[in-house]
Amino acid sequence: MNQGGNTQAVAPMDPNSIENRYGVDGSQAHKYSYQYSTGSDSAPWTAHSVENQAVENGNYSNSNYYHPQPTGPATSNVQEIPNTASFTSSSTSGTANVAQDYSGYTPYQTSSDPHNYSNTGYSNYYSGYQQQPSQSYPQPVGAYQNTGAPQPLSSFQNPGSYAGTPSYSGTYYNPADYQTAGGYQSTNYNNQTAGSYPSTIYSNQTPASNQGNYTDYTSNPYQNYTPDAANTHSSTIATTPPVHYQQNYQQWSEYYSQTEVPCAPGTEKLSATSAYSQSFPVPGVTSEMPASNSQPAPSYVQPWRPEADTSHPPSQQPGAAVSTSNDAYWIHQAPSLQAHHPVPPQNHYPSPLETKPLYETPFQGHQRATYPQEMNSQPSFHQAPLGYRQPTQTAPSVDSQRVSKVQIPTNPRIASNLPSGFTKMDKDSTSASAAQAPAYVSVSMPKPKDHTTAMPDPNSFPKSLRGFVERAFARCKDDKEKASCEVALRKIVKKAKEDNTLYTRDWDTEPLSTVTTTNVTNSESSSTQLSSLQNKSPTRRPKSRWEPLVEGKPFVKPASTFSSAVKFGAWNHQNENNKKSSESFQKVDAATGFKPTYSGQNSAKKSFQRPVKRQRFSGGAATAIDDEASSDSDKDLTPYYSSAMALASSAEEKKRRDSRSKRFEKVQGHSRGNDLTKPKNANVGNLHTRRATALRLSKVFDESGSRAVEDIDWDALTVKGTCQEIEKRYLRLTSAPDPATVRPEDVLEKALIMVQDSQKNYLYKCDQLKSIRQDLTVQRIHNQLTAKVYETHARLALEAGDLPEYNQCLSQLKTLYAEGIEGCSLEFAAYSLLYITLHSNNNRELLSSMSRLSEEDKKDEAVRHALSVRAAVTSGNYVMFFRLYKTAPNMNSCLMDLYVEKMRYKAVNFMSRSCRPTIPVSYIVQVLGFTGAASEGTDEKETDGMEECLEWLKTHGANIITDSNGDMLLDTKASSTSLFMPEPEDAVAHGDRNLDVNDFFTRT
Amino acid sequence: MAYVSMGEAHRRITEYLNRFCDAVSYQDSSTLCRLLSFSSNSPPLLSLADALNVFQDASSLIRQSDKFSEYGEILAHLFRSLQSYRVGNLVEAYLAFEKFANAFVQEFRNWESAWALEALYVVCYEIRILAEKADKELTSNGKSPEKLKAAGSLLMKVFGVLAGKGPKRVGALYVTCQLFKTYFKLGTVNLCRSVIRSIETARIFDFEEFPRRDKVTYMYYTGRLEVFNENFPAADSKLSYALQYCNPKRERNIRMILKYLIPVKLSIGIIPKDELLQNYNLHEYTKIVQALRKGDLRLLRHALQEHEDRFLRSGVYLVLEKLELQVYQRLMKKIYIIQKLSDPARAHQLKLEVIAKALRWLEMDMDLDEVECIMTILIYKNLVKGYLAHKSKVVVLSKQDPFPKLNGKPVGS
Repeated sequence: MNQGGNTQAVAPMDPNSIENRYGVDGSQAHKYSYQYSTGSDSAPWTAHSVENQAVENGNYSNSNYYHPQPTGPATSNVQEIPNTASFTSSSTSGTANVAQDYSGYTPYQTSSDPHNYSNTGYSNYYSGYQQQPSQSYPQPVGAYQNTGAPQPLSSFQNPGSYAGTPSYSGTYYNPADYQTAGGYQSTNYNNQTAGSYPSTIYSNQTPASNQGNYTDYTSNPYQNYTPDAANTHSSTIATTPPVHYQQNYQQWSEYYSQTEVPCAPGTEKLSATSAYSQSFPVPGVTSEMPASNSQPAPSYVQPWRPEADTSHPPSQQPGAAVSTSNDAYWIHQAPSLQAHHPVPPQNHYPSPLETKPLYETPFQGHQRATYPQEMNSQPSFHQAPLGYRQPTQTAPSVDSQRVSKVQIPTNPRIASNLPSGFTKMDKDSTSASAAQAPAYVSVSMPKPKDHTTAMPDPNSFPKSLRGFVERAFARCKDDKEKASCEVALRKIVKKAKEDNTLYTRDWDTEPLSTVTTTNVTNSESSSTQLSSLQNKSPTRRPKSRWEPLVEGKPFVKPASTFSSAVKFGAWNHQNENNKKSSESFQKVDAATGFKPTYSGQNSAKKSFQRPVKRQRFSGGAATAIDDEASSDSDKDLTPYYSSAMALASSAEEKKRRDSRSKRFEKVQGHSRGNDLTKPKNANVGNLHTRRATALRLSKVFDESGSRAVEDIDWDALTVKGTCQEIEKRYLRLTSAPDPATVRPEDVLEKALIMVQDSQKNYLYKCDQLKSIRQDLTVQRIHNQLTAKVYETHARLALEAGDLPEYNQCLSQLKTLYAEGIEGCSLEFAAYSLLYITLHSNNNRELLSSMSRLSEEDKKDEAVRHALSVRAAVTSGNYVMFFRLYKTAPNMNSCLMDLYVEKMRYKAVNFMSRSCRPTIPVSYIVQVLGFTGAASEGTDEKETDGMEECLEWLKTHGANIITDSNGDMLLDTKASSTSLFMPEPEDAVAHGDRNLDVNDFFTRT
Repeated sequence: MAYVSMGEAHRRITEYLNRFCDAVSYQDSSTLCRLLSFSSNSPPLLSLADALNVFQDASSLIRQSDKFSEYGEILAHLFRSLQSYRVGNLVEAYLAFEKFANAFVQEFRNWESAWALEALYVVCYEIRILAEKADKELTSNGKSPEKLKAAGSLLMKVFGVLAGKGPKRVGALYVTCQLFKTYFKLGTVNLCRSVIRSIETARIFDFEEFPRRDKVTYMYYTGRLEVFNENFPAADSKLSYALQYCNPKRERNIRMILKYLIPVKLSIGIIPKDELLQNYNLHEYTKIVQALRKGDLRLLRHALQEHEDRFLRSGVYLVLEKLELQVYQRLMKKIYIIQKLSDPARAHQLKLEVIAKALRWLEMDMDLDEVECIMTILIYKNLVKGYLAHKSKVVVLSKQDPFPKLNGKPVGS
């Protein structure tokens, strides 16, 4: 996952993920931190990344330390930056990264947790979905985790290896690790559930606090773990798990798509995800299950946050983070010594508003975080106990189930929006239903509490709404504002509820001004920033989403990739908690559903590319290189993505996409309208998807220029034209061909005949033929028609003396003939022979092309003629040459035309050197083939040729005298020294006559 | 394949390993050569290959001893290659040998002195031969032959190791020659240029200091290149050098040189003795030489047609074709001599009709225009001294030396 997301959004992330896999976290993490630090905005992210790395690195105490250093500055930056809100939108890159990281983590953790805790849930899930055997699943999960949070994963993996559940339970720490990893993610996750923001916030805070926490954390819990982690780590290195993971992923994605489809908007997705989690106790957890997350999260949070707090008391951020973490922390941490520190943050939690001010100044994100925390807090509490228990592992399965169920309730939307999916899920999980039910109840209980504190129904709110609220709060500068803001928000929400627009409304786009007039005045600038950031943020999003994909992609089939991408997108939304990303997605989804697919495509491309790279640099040392490379390329891509995403959200673009997709339908011959609108069915359109993916790929290539051409799936790129126009102008393709403008084979045949019969000039024909050739090429048609087109064009080019065009055609013809396609191969063998003799003057080439001719070939008239011409030229036999010129078959004379000038000059030179005293011009006319241009009668012809010859001789510096009979004579002695080769009259400075201005005009 | 017992196999392999390591430690190049020379098909190597096929786990044997494992990579690849070679899987053999060669070159780079040059020569030679065989196998399987190309790039790498300063430079020319052979075979002759440049422009090493064997080979190939370029004087000097210094007992080599030297010499007007052609079995040239002697255009054309394939492949066709003008010159000279016998006073006037008649006797049907054209070319190229009077259709020959000899200069200079 990480990889996928990384590619899109943040280059650095990718490496991390990769590293995670390989366990080479330390070095990479460093790099990341540095990269981020450079950019102010990114600074927080660096911290995040660092944190992530730290988490990953958990095993390495050193790495953790390193991270803190960079993070320090980063955090400071963050604090200074008023844009907490910006956080969400803005530091798109940063946020995106964070989100990505987190998303990656959360899912993993959740999944991991579920695995650990409830096998039953899994089985249920599987059975329901039938996608994969439960066993295989766990393994993938392990891999998954590795990717996401390397160390935790590693530790996890061991459990994930699953078979060793007992070991799991036995080692208290393992669960703890689990939780840590999971917890981290889960915290994020929770935030997400509450509002995608919290997670981001968390990450933000993390830079400062987390780092500190990390160190502590690592020292405390990790130390214990470390041995295990290390072991696991090594094990994780095995590449196989990723594969499993991917596979699972696909399945998952499919699942997702299904579930998600029903609920187009992001909110729905959330719900879907939740449903998802339900259905998959384990998997769901990974992706979006708040409940599942909550369990791990709490545990995780506790260790983390407390530590963070302790380590970084000065940083207020921890407070915010604390809120989420606190909950978990409280319960969980209570046992642990560090827990105490976190407590203060927890305090904050109870009084979220109060805490908010603190956070606000530093980060909007904090606010958000707090918010979600508040929201989540209760659940988290509940969960926390659960999580706690889990570590104890007394009854892991039950807990997990509960958790999952809890989550379900938390997301009322799911139920409402996706009843079908929901029910399904329930059914699936029926086996664990008994346990679940109670869990559900408990969960629901906490929620109300949360609501009371901040919002009516935070959990039930759509993500986007949460984000909206967070944004609103983020703008508040002080408590007063906050209070007013809160009032306003409540009103809005209430109204929305009454209108039943709570879930349908696009909160992402909802203007904040509605919330607070007062706020607006204060924070206009910030709002603008936000908006701009928001626009940008989507770009980031895709990357993060793709994280999971990346790993899965390479192995995934194209079709599945498509769907998976979609799923992932949804998933990411949830995971990331980044409102913006979710916003964009939601919009898209709501509108057409095509958008997600689009993103999916992106991810697909990435994933395709990625795997290759990864394979290449499987070594730990190489990862660093990979790092840099990928980051570079990603950087290049960001603008593209951002623009793409921005476009995607616009109505216009949607329309266009729609139409394009319809076009594809036509092409594919099966209607995919449903598929497009509903990502669910994305799997169906294999071809379409593949093609789209490939196109995307190719675009990416264009953008980055760093991908190898051989990575392109040419089959997928092949277009089948639908255009029925016979005439088409040639335009050099600057983008992927559009089937609507490409003519199918039968139309091309007509077009060829049209060109052949056309009375128009060469430029027109050339243009038409080029467009025919282009259409043939994009449709990859290699047959007799192709040969015919190239032959026609080659002949026309010869006729017009267009050697460059002729050469292009000839080289194509050579390959066509070599493929065994019939055509006038001998005719063109003669041409090529003539061309070599007359124009390239390369002896070796001539020899080889002569030796290629069989005896049979030499009997062909054209070939024989060409060979005689060759002999005449090599010996300088001008008489022979011009005789052959007159008797040339096919277009041989056209090629000879281009040599006539040279030959005549040579001949006159010979004559004037060898003959004395004079040569009659009439003889020259006869011997050197001066026939005159316009010739009707024979007499006229003579004189015409005479005039032409005289003209020619004069321009070449010959000395002409007239004898007593009035006959024109060439004075050879005088001429022998005065002959010269004149500059061609039609020569142009740039050397290409075809670029002549007049021609240019006639062309256009 | 005779049955080899496990113990015997073990003994053979160990013996080979011992000999290899001893050769390296005593810097015994000739022994090493023998140990590496696949294509010699020497009995010890073949029996070793049999042993390897029986005793599959030779690599563990290598690993057992520090002495062997020092060259473990080299030996392991070598063994694998030998195994495949023995079984007849030449592509596999080549691949393993390429790995071996890489490892060996790496090791060679580390050796201060150039003691192992001979062994390196063997490696270079073997890899080229193996690549050619592997390509043959690939072609017969319908796959694209590419191993020789790969061998070429490996040889280029070896060249890079040797081309610098120091005692190892002596070996550069050998590798160059192997490269020439590769490139000529591949038809990528233009790749020779860079190697030639680094050999000929380097002032740090006198060409004469290279081993004679390599110098001869080098001159042969560069001479051939000059033939392609129709730079006859240069080709003449290079091929003559090769002929002069090559081992006179190696008839095959002499013949190869003569195959190019004779056309070159003919183009600059030097005609070989018949014995030479006979001694070296160069019958394809006998008719051409006869045609030149007699001025028999028909014979020349027939000879060219007869051996067209061979001449085209060796690349001398165009050179030989250009001898036509000399044949014309000879014919003119004969006509001139005949005329002189009958009418010395007007012997220097050659009527075009007479020439056309002579050509007709040779079954060359040409009209006067064409004959005139030929004559202008002959005069222009200075094969005939004089002028052509167009009006009277007569070639007026110079009274002094109307048919100048080329005397080692190419036509038209």
